[in-house]
Amino acid sequence: MVASLQENVGPRQSFANLDHWMERYQQADPEAPAALVGALSPPLLRFFRSQVATREQANDLLQEAWLRIHRVRHTYRPGEPVLPWIYAIARRVRVDGYRRTRRIMLHEITMEVLPEVAAQAEARNPGPTFDTLVASLPEAQREVVTMLKVGGLTLDEVACATSSTVGAVKQKAHRAYERLRKLLQIQAEERVSGAAQ
Amino acid sequence: MNCKGTARALSEGSRLPLQAQDHLRICGRCQELERSLNSSAPVDPPSPATLRQIADGMATGLRPVHPVAPARYFFGAFVGIFVSIVALGVYRMGALAIGVMTPRQTAAILSALAISTGLLTYSLVNQMVPGSHHRISPRLLPVGITISLTIVIAVLFQFQHERNFWGNAWVCIRAGAPIGVLAALPFWLMLRRGAILSPGMTGAATGLLAGLVGTSVLEIHCPNLDAWHILVSHLGAAMLCALAGLVIGLAAESTPLTPNLSVDFKET
Repeated sequence: MVASLQENVGPRQSFANLDHWMERYQQADPEAPAALVGALSPPLLRFFRSQVATREQANDLLQEAWLRIHRVRHTYRPGEPVLPWIYAIARRVRVDGYRRTRRIMLHEITMEVLPEVAAQAEARNPGPTFDTLVASLPEAQREVVTMLKVGGLTLDEVACATSSTVGAVKQKAHRAYERLRKLLQIQAEERVSGAAQ
Repeated sequence: MNCKGTARALSEGSRLPLQAQDHLRICGRCQELERSLNSSAPVDPPSPATLRQIADGMATGLRPVHPVAPARYFFGAFVGIFVSIVALGVYRMGALAIGVMTPRQTAAILSALAISTGLLTYSLVNQMVPGSHHRISPRLLPVGITISLTIVIAVLFQFQHERNFWGNAWVCIRAGAPIGVLAALPFWLMLRRGAILSPGMTGAATGLLAGLVGTSVLEIHCPNLDAWHILVSHLGAAMLCALAGLVIGLAAESTPLTPNLSVDFKET
């Protein structure tokens, strides 16, 4: 249990050959796009889902991310880790998508209550799953925890992807875990008091 | 170890210390946190049709590309452009300030400018490649450099009261800012070879670097050693260029060339 928490063994194993496929992608190997898209799309979609409200938006962001990756594929340097490169682009796509959505909402839609990520996640998963928990975090902490736990990035890779330092990433992760722990404590207390009544 | 200490140990990323592992075994709350964080079953995975569509779109007309050159080449090119334009400016305008400043002032101000240039160039070269390692936050660096140079100038030079302060300042700004604009052009051509993810941030850094070309020329040329004059007109020229870079970058950021890029894959 402890080991699985620290190592993120699953994601890292599935990303083992990404460097190789990325190099082949730069050399125009027609099999490389399918390999990269197949391996990276699920965690990328989950990364977008943890930040935006709807599946349609997340799907759009996923496609946009791949389009940008395709356009700037020459900026990947062979031999360097792929994940920080990919997530740095995905992060930018998410920011641009958020701005675009906000602009559209401001100009075209008047809603009394905006859909919230937390509320939707709660409706889907009544238990404290990863998405439910992470939805309650501030954006910067959510991003770091999602990259660490879903993307399988190391602290150093998250620092690279977010143009930040390892110290800053550690601090965000620590604050996020502290916040989540307190949230779980409150939920447990509420459950106990509810059962008593 | 308590829950707080365990959360800190978890955020360290390396193997948990034994005390934290012991705590995790006995603490139900921390176990629940761990379980929730690792509940990695994919929620609504992307549809195979969508993935195939994306992969097909990428594979269609796929051409080989040359990976971007190593960072040291870009670093050398940026520094080369910087030094060339400073040399050209000093050659045209003259090095009058060198004869007026003390050796200590000359060495200190030129060293400060050289260090600032090196740090900004290093940051810009890293900003060209997504996911690069930054030792100093690229958002804070331009601000940090401006503050550091202000302190160096305030310590090295004396504050005096000039008669025609704004007239003299305007002459220097008018000479320094165009040099910055001139330097910005080759810098921009270099940056285009990479992928700029935050045009606002990169614009400010590029503007400041280009402005520092003008500041360097003025520091070597202008014999006016009043600290106010140097701050307002010499460093001011660099700050004007940084501001212009920031505005241009933010404008580029808020006006996407392709409003809905996702359409491209759907159409291919």
